[in-house]
Amino acid sequence: MAHVSIPKYWKALPQKYRLVAGKCSNCGELNFPPTTLCKKCGQENTQKHIELKGKGTVYTYTIIGRGGAPPEFAKMQKKCGPYAIAIVELEEGLKINVQLTDCDPFKDVNIGMKVSAVFRRIYEQENVIRYGLKFRPIIE
Amino acid sequence: MRRVGIIAAGESKFGARVGMEYEELFVEAFLEAMGQVDNLESKDIQEAFVGSLAFGGSQLGNMSALVVDSVNLIGIPASRVENACGSSGYALRYAIMSIASGINDIVIAGGVEKMQDISKATRLYWFGVAGDIKWERLSGMTFPGNYALMATRHMKEFGTKKEALSSVAVKNHDFASRNPKAQFQRKITLEQAMNAPIVAYPLNIYDCCPITDGASCVILCDLEIAKKYTDTPIEIVGFGAGTDHLALYQRESITRIDAAVKASKMAFKMANLQPKDIEVAEVHDCFTIAEILAYEDIGFCKKGDGGKMILDGETTIHGRIPVNTGGGLKAKGHPIGATGTAQIYEIFKQLRGEHENQVHDATIGLTHNVGGTGSACTVTILRRV
Repeated sequence: MAHVSIPKYWKALPQKYRLVAGKCSNCGELNFPPTTLCKKCGQENTQKHIELKGKGTVYTYTIIGRGGAPPEFAKMQKKCGPYAIAIVELEEGLKINVQLTDCDPFKDVNIGMKVSAVFRRIYEQENVIRYGLKFRPIIE
Repeated sequence: MRRVGIIAAGESKFGARVGMEYEELFVEAFLEAMGQVDNLESKDIQEAFVGSLAFGGSQLGNMSALVVDSVNLIGIPASRVENACGSSGYALRYAIMSIASGINDIVIAGGVEKMQDISKATRLYWFGVAGDIKWERLSGMTFPGNYALMATRHMKEFGTKKEALSSVAVKNHDFASRNPKAQFQRKITLEQAMNAPIVAYPLNIYDCCPITDGASCVILCDLEIAKKYTDTPIEIVGFGAGTDHLALYQRESITRIDAAVKASKMAFKMANLQPKDIEVAEVHDCFTIAEILAYEDIGFCKKGDGGKMILDGETTIHGRIPVNTGGGLKAKGHPIGATGTAQIYEIFKQLRGEHENQVHDATIGLTHNVGGTGSACTVTILRRV
């Protein structure tokens, strides 16, 4: 298992649950997750925490074939079959890596598809269910 | 800076080397290299740089001591160099620098990996260790999945066809069919390559490198004294390296590997050469899309034309720049930490005219070794003296 300890996961909850990013007050850059040094201007401790809206479009994607899931997702894949992972370009301009849900990966997913964040069970480790965000198609 | 030459290169047989340990694989590579030189004894080697991910975790700490002990070099300074699949490319870099700087005269650089004889769950875990864990891995991402993300976007932006990806596999299997050390010594058809089971769409099983045990090494020395050991040393005329964000989603572009672009520019500048001067190359084709990206990143073709380059046959034995004549990671095999110097092994043979898939009178060659999904890269340019 990719081991992310409970304290480490807990520390990332603002990002895992609410997509909290750091907006640099010096240059305006959005850092996700927030960092000590701004990725663009390099200034220290200039980032104000803001919540991203969790809406965006699929920039690129892949579908993880049967039996290919990492061990912590093997149970989910056995039950639900192949699943899609995408890099989503958020409305705020930055990109994140997420799992897609509530769709048929082979039929529904394409580059440019509009998606939004939804709170879901991600996986279980050390007897604790880790929750977080997946993304699903926006039906207009 | 002193000029640096390679006087010998060795490689174990690649494949499922069931029951073989790290050190046994390394001995195989070492003995081949030592058999190529005259007047050189083990005790003349002053330092060792060993690339390995320590896949499976079986000798995660202090592997270099284990490896130098196996070839009776115990006592010399030795270190394990780790940059995932780019480990021995970086081991080579430090070996070159140690001679160029005048600190050492003769050193060994190599790599070793043991990936078989491990349970499937352990293996799947270890495949993910070189990527970003907190965000990529814990979305359910896999290593082939990351390259698949690059492939999907490349197809969208440049119209690259699945046929181009599969053609890389067909070409590299063809080369490997004549390489007695390759893991897969058999040809495949385009139809087979196109219609295999999906691993991470759009990549299928034939787009992915296998799980390989193997070792490789090269012996380097100050070029001034190289002729004492061999009549045909090969000079390292340029070497570059670079890094990029660990996570793909943080990068400026995912249809190029910036670390490779930077490493290439650095190497070409040092060698005072251009991509068109390269006559044979070994590039990091862990997945077929990676070879296409390599053509573009190194500068063998224009951005976006990588798919066209393979479909036009420009990288076959009769093409403009034959690529991966040893079979590549795809068909020769990819023992993670051993790959960088295994690529040098192929170019060394090419430039000495000793290769199974010999490029006629090749004098200048290049290797391109990538770590992770492009977070580290080395490019090395070699020339016949």
